[in-house]
Amino acid sequence: MNAGIIWASFKADLQSFYRSKATLFWTLLFPILLILMFGAIFSGVGDAEYELVVVDYDDSDMSVMFTEILNDTDIIKTNVKVIEEENILSYIKNNDIKRLIVIPDDFEQSLNTFYFDENVTTSIKFYFDQSEQQTNSIIRSVISAVVIELNKNISGGKDIILIDDIETISGEFEFIDFFLPGMIGFTIMQTCIYGSLERNTKFRKDGILRKLLTTPITRTEWILSKMLFQLFLSFVSAFLIIVIGIFLFGLNIHISLLMFILIIATSFLFTGMGMVIGRFVKDEESAGMAGGAVTFPMMFLAGTFFPLEQMPEFLQTIAKVLPLYYVNEGFRNAMIYLKTDDAIFHSVIVLIFAIIFFLTGLILTKWKED
Amino acid sequence: MFEEIPTIESILPLKIYNSFYIPSNIKRDIFMMERTVKCPNCGNTITTSGSYGEVVKVICPYCSTKGKVTFGYPISSDESAIEVSNLRKEYGDLVAVNNISFKVKKGEVFAFLGPNGAGKTTTVEMIESIRVPTAGAVKILGNDISSSFDQVKERIGVLPQEFHSFERLTVRETLEFFQKMFKNRASINEIIANLDLKDQENKLYMNLSGGLKQRVGVAISLVNNPEIVFLDEPSTGLDPKARREVWEVIAGLRNKGKTVFLTTHYMEEAEYLADHVAIIHKGNIIAEGSVEELIRKFGEGSILDIKNCKTEDAIDALKQSGFNAKQEDNGDIEVYIEHKERVLEILSILRHEAIDYDAIDIRRSNLEEVFLHLTGAKLSEEDE
Ligand SMILES: Nc1ncnc2c1ncn2[C@@H]1O[C@H](COP(=O)(O)OP(=O)(O)OP(=O)(O)O)[C@@H](O)[C@H]1O
Ligand SMILES: [Mg+2]
Repeated sequence: MNAGIIWASFKADLQSFYRSKATLFWTLLFPILLILMFGAIFSGVGDAEYELVVVDYDDSDMSVMFTEILNDTDIIKTNVKVIEEENILSYIKNNDIKRLIVIPDDFEQSLNTFYFDENVTTSIKFYFDQSEQQTNSIIRSVISAVVIELNKNISGGKDIILIDDIETISGEFEFIDFFLPGMIGFTIMQTCIYGSLERNTKFRKDGILRKLLTTPITRTEWILSKMLFQLFLSFVSAFLIIVIGIFLFGLNIHISLLMFILIIATSFLFTGMGMVIGRFVKDEESAGMAGGAVTFPMMFLAGTFFPLEQMPEFLQTIAKVLPLYYVNEGFRNAMIYLKTDDAIFHSVIVLIFAIIFFLTGLILTKWKED
Repeated sequence: MFEEIPTIESILPLKIYNSFYIPSNIKRDIFMMERTVKCPNCGNTITTSGSYGEVVKVICPYCSTKGKVTFGYPISSDESAIEVSNLRKEYGDLVAVNNISFKVKKGEVFAFLGPNGAGKTTTVEMIESIRVPTAGAVKILGNDISSSFDQVKERIGVLPQEFHSFERLTVRETLEFFQKMFKNRASINEIIANLDLKDQENKLYMNLSGGLKQRVGVAISLVNNPEIVFLDEPSTGLDPKARREVWEVIAGLRNKGKTVFLTTHYMEEAEYLADHVAIIHKGNIIAEGSVEELIRKFGEGSILDIKNCKTEDAIDALKQSGFNAKQEDNGDIEVYIEHKERVLEILSILRHEAIDYDAIDIRRSNLEEVFLHLTGAKLSEEDE
């Protein structure tokens, strides 16, 4: 193994990459444009008022007044529900509730007894979905403003009413939460398959592979240098997409070891797939078509753009044999939904696919001519 | 000291970078320290002397044209650079290479001449260890390639057929990329200077003309300062000017003492460049030797070309007098003559029969005729 040779080969890829406007566009810009486009189309437009579910166990004059004050802020739209205390969490989960307050049954009584007992307090519970941090921090500040005002009027500033924050995960996310991890998988798939196809068809046709066979570079050094470059590209595009997600869409993206493992496994998986396809096509043109024939349906069927549940059942079954499905789900669970068990499960499947495809690719690739 | 050039000779009118060229029949006498060269301007011959590897400036005494003559290295010994024995390749039922054997001497330009599909690439790529032979053995510089090709890699340079390098690397970057593969490293600056690529060194490969790309291809094959250079049809698909520039580069390699294994289907290329020619046809070597030897052995003496002959029954008249004559597609008539004296006979027939023509040309038969004689087929279509 010669690091100098590997570096020379990596560098050549890098130079070719940044000099090709088309490649730059398709690998870096196109996914971002897609995200911006889809993000704009599907974002819930202009939610000026945010719904707040109110569960009022007190049902007193004071608690009703408190709810009305919140409603009068024009930011919060209260929606009073009657729910058993032990069912609140499941209610939030099942109905995709982003935020909810519970007014305790001692609310009015506490406010009234203040005149006799200065140490009395009462706690409003504020349930909020942590995936909606931005809006919820607004709601939270509105509620606390109202509470502070009430405390001031009643006690002259002593905290009678307290707010108890409780984080929840509602289970439903915005479309962009769903879409963005899928774009990472999609982009890695594209760059790896097409990169691998180029090396196995164009480089073969152009005699570059034959030429390399007569130089001291080994097959391992060549593959390693190309793999390193693909990994580099995968990380660059994942990084760009994540940055867009965080700063433009305010997503709460969790960066974990699992995510790194997925990026690496996905790169090997689709590079291997490119090698397999490359074995069965003769020239660049048919390579491009074969590449499209594989990536295009996979992109739609594997739930990159629409959740699988929205598709007919037989298509859902098909999706479950597609590697990209597990890549997408893995990224979503690892980065956004934080379902670690599922994420590990999907990553393991991606790893298995990666091993199968990469090894098959290595075995099928003709190094020498017939 | 002047040396006489026979009058009926196939002398190619080459004029490249104003270098004086050595007619093919003379330059083969490589131990000679004096060379007779032909002025590219007026065509007169000049004799000049020099030592091996030297580039001598000459001024034509007749027309004062300035130029240079390169003195090539002699083929130092009978040592073999490449030894091929009983090499065979089958593709299914097709026998592409049929148990061929030959040797390439160190320092010579060995031309593997044959038409499309003859088995040239198959053979050369088996020697380069790119394709696996069905049977047979190859030794390069004494090493059996089936066991020790890795040692050989540092000592050979290869230009595959229809090679096309990385599109978005500059010429210099391309050479550096391939150079990094090797432990033996030639000076890139020197290669660029020798191959006249200075103006192109920072251009992207994709923006070069076909001829320049091939020149870069040859340059790539030199980055490890190889002892043997393999060039598979280096000038195919190029226009005549670019082709001759590539020839000049190859002649330069020979002058530097490198062994060159050249495949081609252009007989002019073999005639101009080769010390030794092997003619391959349908996987068999049908003739082998120096250009002179091949023409002496298999050629048809000389050929008289009657240009643009307008008389209908000219061929009949010639045939009646016992000449082997035939009409070419372009209207010319070719007559084969074994002895130079018969030229006069033909001229008198032409005058006697009042045959109308533009001009007469006499040339020695060339490898094209050798090939035709051996196979009954044409070597190549007129030009591609
Ligand atoms: N990989 C292959 N599989 C099957 N047949 C092949 C293969 N490569 C070459 N051939 C056949 O073997 C014969 C020799 O081919 P080869 O490429 O060696 O000829 P060539 O002399 O180099 O021709 P050209 O001038 O066209 O390059 C041809 O008939 C060709 O069709
Ligand atoms: Mg060939």
